[in-house]
Formats: sequence, C-alpha cells, structure tokens
Amino acid sequence: MSVLVLVEQADGATDELSLQALALARDLGSPVHALSIGEAVTGLGAYGVETLHVAQDDRLSTYAPAAWAACLGQLADRLQPSAVVAAGTNRGNEVLAHLAARRDLPFAANVIAVGSDGTVTRVRWGGSLLEEARIDSDLRLLTVAPHMVEAATVNGSEAAVEAFEPALDETEFVVRVVDHAETPTAGISLAEAKVVVSGGRGVGSADGFGMLEELAGLLNAAVGCSRVVTMAGWRPHTDQVGQTGTKVAPDLYIACGISGATQHIAGCKGAKKILAINSDAEAPILASADYAVIGDLAEIVPAITAELRKAQSQ
Amino acid sequence: MRLGKPVERFDDVPKRVRNEAVIVLGQRKLLQRLVPGLIHAAIFWGFLVLFPTIVIAMIGVVDKESTLPWLGEQGWFALMVDVFAVLVLAGVVGAVIIRKVQRPARFEGSHLGEADLILALIAGIVTTLLLWHASRIALGVNEWPSSWSPVSDALSGLFGDGGVTEVLERVFVWAHVLIILSFLAYLPHSKHLHIATAAFNVYFARTRPRGRLEPLRFDVPEEEMRFGAGTVPDLTWKQTLDTFSCTECGRCQDVCPAWTTGKELSPKLLIMALRDQVFEEGPPLVRGEEGFEPSPLVPNAVTDNVVWDCVTCGACVRECPVSIEHVDHIIDLRRHLVMMESSFPAESEQMLRDVERASNPWGKPQTERADWAAELGVRVLEPGDPAPEVLYWVGCAASFDERARTAAQSTAKLLQAAGVDFAILGPRESCTGDPARRIGNEYLFQAHAEQNVSTLNEAGVTKIVASCPHCFNTIGNEYPDFGGDYEVVHHTELLADLVRDGRLAPSADAGTITYHDSCYLARHNDVRADPRAIVEAVGTPIEMERREERTFCCGAGGARMWMEERARPINEERVREAAETGADTLAVACPFCTVMLDDGVKSRGDDLRVVDVSTLLVESLDGDGTRPPAP
Repeated sequence: MSVLVLVEQADGATDELSLQALALARDLGSPVHALSIGEAVTGLGAYGVETLHVAQDDRLSTYAPAAWAACLGQLADRLQPSAVVAAGTNRGNEVLAHLAARRDLPFAANVIAVGSDGTVTRVRWGGSLLEEARIDSDLRLLTVAPHMVEAATVNGSEAAVEAFEPALDETEFVVRVVDHAETPTAGISLAEAKVVVSGGRGVGSADGFGMLEELAGLLNAAVGCSRVVTMAGWRPHTDQVGQTGTKVAPDLYIACGISGATQHIAGCKGAKKILAINSDAEAPILASADYAVIGDLAEIVPAITAELRKAQSQ
Repeated sequence: MRLGKPVERFDDVPKRVRNEAVIVLGQRKLLQRLVPGLIHAAIFWGFLVLFPTIVIAMIGVVDKESTLPWLGEQGWFALMVDVFAVLVLAGVVGAVIIRKVQRPARFEGSHLGEADLILALIAGIVTTLLLWHASRIALGVNEWPSSWSPVSDALSGLFGDGGVTEVLERVFVWAHVLIILSFLAYLPHSKHLHIATAAFNVYFARTRPRGRLEPLRFDVPEEEMRFGAGTVPDLTWKQTLDTFSCTECGRCQDVCPAWTTGKELSPKLLIMALRDQVFEEGPPLVRGEEGFEPSPLVPNAVTDNVVWDCVTCGACVRECPVSIEHVDHIIDLRRHLVMMESSFPAESEQMLRDVERASNPWGKPQTERADWAAELGVRVLEPGDPAPEVLYWVGCAASFDERARTAAQSTAKLLQAAGVDFAILGPRESCTGDPARRIGNEYLFQAHAEQNVSTLNEAGVTKIVASCPHCFNTIGNEYPDFGGDYEVVHHTELLADLVRDGRLAPSADAGTITYHDSCYLARHNDVRADPRAIVEAVGTPIEMERREERTFCCGAGGARMWMEERARPINEERVREAAETGADTLAVACPFCTVMLDDGVKSRGDDLRVVDVSTLLVESLDGDGTRPPAP
C-alpha cells in the first residue's frame, strides 16, 4: 500500500526534518507519494519519492493549517494510502491534528520507528519514555520525531511531478499566517549559545557585568545571570538562567559569583561542563561544577580575558 | 447566593455555635487590635442592648402614652440603655478620630464616604434616643423611674415642661425612628450590609483544618467539566456570602505580605471587586435574563497579577473579623486560570512539568533523592520491608536543595541519637503535589496524592514525621481526602518531645536566636510551641513582632517559590524584621523559609545565620562529651 508524506520547505529546499520523515515513511509502504504545498521542490527522488504532488491555489502562498489539512485529505482520498506522514514540526503536528479531527482518525505523534507488524514506537514525556503503539485504523496518521531518524538517500530516479488542485473553501483560510516578525534579539541567544558566561550576586552591580560581556564577546558566548541579579534589576529577566528563567545546555557554562541555588542549577545542569568562579569554597555551585576557581572574580575574569586576547592575537 | 455552587457547611454544629459565640458575640478577632476592637465592641454590644428600644420608639411614635409592656417600664433596662447609648456615642467619636485623624493605611481603597455617613446615622440614632428619653422625663411621661437613667435625667434639665417640649418630644421620637428606617434602607447598598451577613458568614466558616483545600472531583460528566471560579456563578454560596460580609476594614490588607511589599494584591480589594461583580451580574443571572452571559472574573474584577501575587499564607483569613476565606477565592480563581484557560505565569510551567515528570519541582533524578543520607546509614524502606515506627518524609527541598539538605541530615542524626526506629522512602517518595495544588493544578496534585497514598498504605505506615511544613500540611490535612490517614507530625514536634523525654540533652549556648514561624506550621496548623521549646533549649530566644499565628511569610508559599516576584521582595522585608531583633541566628523550621530568608540575608548583607532548628539542636548536643560535628 502506498504512503503519503507532507513535505515542508525552508528557503526553497526541502526541510531536513521532512527528509527524515520520508526515511521513516519508506518503512510503512510503497510507493511513496509526497505532497508539497504551493511550490515544487527538487531532489526528492533520492529520498525514495515516486510522485511529487504540488497543491496549487493562490491562497496557499502562506501557511494555513486547515487548508493544508484539506489538501492532504483530498489527496489521500484519491490515492488511498495506508498512512499519511509528516515531520514532527509544529506545522506537521498541527496539520495532522486537523486532519485527524476532520476524519475522526487516530493520530500518533513523534514516531521514531515502525515495526514489521505495523506497530510504531513513539517518544513521550519529552524523551523519557518510549511507547509501543498499534494504530487501529485503515488510514494511519503519524508524525516523525525530529532528529531521531536519519534522512538516508536511496538509489532512485527523479520523482514525477504532478499538479494537484484542491477544492478549498474560504473558511479553511480563517487561520493563516499574515505576517512574519523577527524577534528583536541582540547577539547570541541564551538557549542556543555554545558558551554562556553567567553572573550572580558576586558580580556586585550592573556595571560589574561589563567584564562578563567582554569575556563573552571573545568566546562568542551569551551572557546569563541568576535570579538575584534580575531581582536587583541589574539584568533583564530574559537573561535569567534557572528554574523560572531560561534552561540552557551549552558546551561550557561559566558561573561567576553564583552560589548555585537549586533554582539556578535546575537551569544550567544541561551544560556539558560547568566552570565556577567563586570566592566561597563552600558554595553549593561547586558540587555541580566540573572546574572551579576560588577567588575574587574581579581579578580572575579580567585575567582570563587578557589570556584569551593574547592567545587570539597570536 | 442562590447561584452559588454547593459547599458543605452545615456540619459541625457545636463548633459553629462556639465560633459564633467567640467571634461574633465575644468580638475576639476585632479585639486583636485593642482600640479599634473596643470601639467596635462598644457599638456592637450597644446595639444588641438598644435593639428593643427600636420597638419601644415605634410604639411611642404611634401612641405617646404606650410603651413595650414590662420592658419599657424597667428601671434597670433604662439604665442599660443610658450606659450603652453613651458607649456607642463614645465609640462613634473614637471611630471618627481614627478615620479623620489617625487615617491608617488599611483604609486605602475602602469607601470612606459611606463609613462617614454610617457613623453619622449611628450618632443620630443614639442622640435622638437620649434626647427623646430626656424630653419624656422633662414632661413627666417616662414609664421608667427617671433615677435609673442618669444621662437622660441630666439632659432633661435642658427642657421645660411646656408646649415646646411637647413638640420636641414628638420631633425626637420621629427623628429617631426615621433615622433608623433610613439606616435600614441604606444598608443593602453599602458596605454596612455586614451587620446582616457577618454573623451568618462566621457561622458558615470553615471548621475543617485551615490548611486543607477542598478537593475537586474529576469524575463528572463532560458538560459539567468546569473547574475553579471563572465567572460569578462559579463561586460557592459561601464565597458569595464572603463578598457580602466584607466591611472594608482593611485588617487583611494590613497583614498581607503581598500588599505590604508593594504588589497589586490586596485581599480586601479582591473581595470588594468580586462583590461588585456579584452585585452587577447576580440579578440578571438569577432572573435568567435571556442572552446574558456572565463576564470572566479575571480580568474584569481583578487582574492576573492579583491572583498570582498570593502566597497562601492565610494571614488575611486569620485576621478577618467576619471569617472571609480569601485564600479559597484565590485558589479557585487559579484553578480556573490553570485548568480551564491554561493561563499562568510562564516561568512556573517548568515546575509543573518537573513535578509531573520527575516527581520533584526541580527535575532532579529520583535516584538522587536519598543521596543526602548516603553517609548516615539511614534505612531506605524497600517494598515488602516491615514498616518503621516512624516514617521520615523528607520532602523534595530537603532531599535536593544544597542548603535545605542540612536540615534533613540534622533530623536524621537526631533521630539516630535518640534511638528512634525510622526509615525513609528514598526514590519511592515523590512530591506531595503541594506546589501544583497551590498554583491551581488540582489534577496534577491528585495524581501525586493518590500515588503517594498508595505507596504509604502499601508500606503499612502509621506515623510520619515531615521536615517540610508544606508536606506536613498536605499529608496531614489533605491526604485523608484520598484515603491516607496517618499520624503526621512536624520534625520540630517530634524533636521537642525527644528533648522533653530526655532522649536528647542539648545545652543552651547557641547565643541569641530569633525564630521565624512558617505559615504552614504556625498559622495553618498551630505548631508554635514545640519549635520554640527547642530554641529555648539551645539558646536565648528573642521574638519578632510578627510571630506565631500572626507570622509574616518568607515569600515562597502558594507556589510563589516558582514565580518571579515584582515590587519589593517579601523575604527581605522579613529579614529586615529579624535583623532588627539583633539576634545572632535566624532559626527556621521550613526548607523553603531557609532558602528564601538566606537569600534575603545575602541580598541585604546582614550578619545573620539562617539555620533550621534541627541543626541548632544537633550542634548543641553534648552527649558523651564529644559534640557531633556540624553537618
């Protein structure tokens, strides 16, 4: 039985996560049909797609979840596949949820594998649990958990491209994207930075963060802080690392003058390495730190900065 | 109130009658503040005594020659009327002085004009009464012996016995009755409605433990799936009665940790805002007006901030002279926001997720829960093991938090030193669900309650000692609703017992200590004497002004531990008070107080050691002459 896969685009090319979805779809059946909304994409043959259907309607130039679900549903009616698959992106999950609700079908999100007997394995509870599930339906709807399946290529010829004109009602476009706005962030985002230089009460003042900014600049790092710092008004809440702030997972977390309250550790425990700079050798942060320098951060931070400059100028 | 959801408040009659006697007739809550309390008591008791004079005056209006049979002729009653009329007048004068001269901050936001009008009406009622009596004495038509009413008798000297007095007598009695009638007509439109509702509100107040929240039922048909209070009809009838009973005295506002540190929440303004919406939307709802939809309480009556500012410390409930239950209102508003609207402070989401997934609010691995005890040789209760005499319920904070762990280690060492047979659950212990319940996620709370109750019941546990006052409150007061009935004590209670029994022999050399009462111990559960007994055994106590059942929160309760704070920090306000005592040590009995107050000390730069009483006790044990090392 055939399989239908919704592919999403990013900057004119097929999104990596959709290629991963195609890899999993090949285990569900063949031939593999793909649906692209609005514009065609190339190179899908290498990922096992036999036919690429391109839904065409002027109104489909922006994302509209109900309309996408209608396209997918109408194409499925024609092709009668055994499964409809999408990437486990926000959009993929949303569109399949719409389709499931319209057709009263079961839907399994975040699938990572398909067994030979048709059972699926899916990720639950944010990755702490794997669930074996059997989808009790003629048409199975599922999304593929991001970055859990490799987007492998196969030896295949270029996919045939077919235009597809869905019948879309105006009401399907009630919810649609009307505008894109960039988040006004300066520099590197805290959540994604590879290195975070973070300051706590020990920094002493808003001005004290100047030396942390300087060090962060050299390391291509983001600047974070503890709750005390936010409460004191030295830094905005967006910079706060911790239970009630941002959770970070950098390769290196440099904690300057942070005592290491549980609330703070909860936000930085995902770091691969923690370097603590603290004047108190008894501070709780030392229990979580991989490296520690005991001493006055006003001396130590500038010393590190100076060494880095020396190393970088050589 | 007819719109109100049901709530069981008809049980416990003896307790309710006792509350009525003590709080209403005895004015106990009002007398917590001596001068305003005496003023109110004078007016209240005065009107109880003067009540029959309304009937007497009404008879007098109709027929100058008649009075209430028997009572109207009694000299002793005339004396009481004279005395209490003067007391009421004195009360009114006192109240005017407070309102016009002293102007306490607690009246901020109250209807001050209404209060002035009511005081004027009260003064008018008693003045006309005295003058009426005086004029009757002057005319010689008094039914009672005039020597029994010294004040009226003295005033009668103002009047002659001629025609002018005849007219004045009529004027006074008519004025008296008309002012009373105007007063009664005005009542329902003013905050003074409390004289009709407060006695009922006190009668129907909670009689179950103060720290217990009413459980929600989830096994209801889908169309009834509405949780908490989103609109006026979602309030229980008691909550509606609460709003009618508020007389805007502001005692709650005065003691509220949120309001006193500059936040939006005032318990008084909350109840007033709810009352306004009940008054506005209640009538069309009761009439069943077609197409009338009640508007959401948040943000119509109060903003989101008001709902989230609350620490559930219960100071307002404790203070309220008419038994309004502010915390229950807050919790029901939160339940609606969290479970129906999924609208709550974004920063708390992680806590809820961690409680759900990791069974503790910081997302630490359960396998590390007993790490604090690794070197102490504490027995970890495995499935099938015989139950210990006492199960030590450690709690998440004392298990995982670096600063709070010390208290768990101290408690374990003390129990070992005293030879108590105890064990911990280790990784089988999970969050009691308190933070989830207090933020309004009842569903998550109940899941944890059921799981913990089943673990405890299977283990055959009968007695539990808890380190955390929140766990202590939840297990002791709330788990019985889920089939968990145990004898639950706080570690300070058990340790104080061990000291009294001589099983622990501390020495008093720890210097000056000021003890901070945790809300969930001192106020919600009446644990006040035992922690003090330990403090006294190890050092020299110095008390703070706000203490015992009138303690001031550290700022962490009501899941505020997992929310960001606006305005001035509550913990620093509390530490300021502690530092002003000049004590060396700030003793606590709650892991959250430990963290909050220690942070406060660091922020303010005070020279004050924040430490759990159990640690103070360990440090002061001499035993065989070798002091055990401080943990």
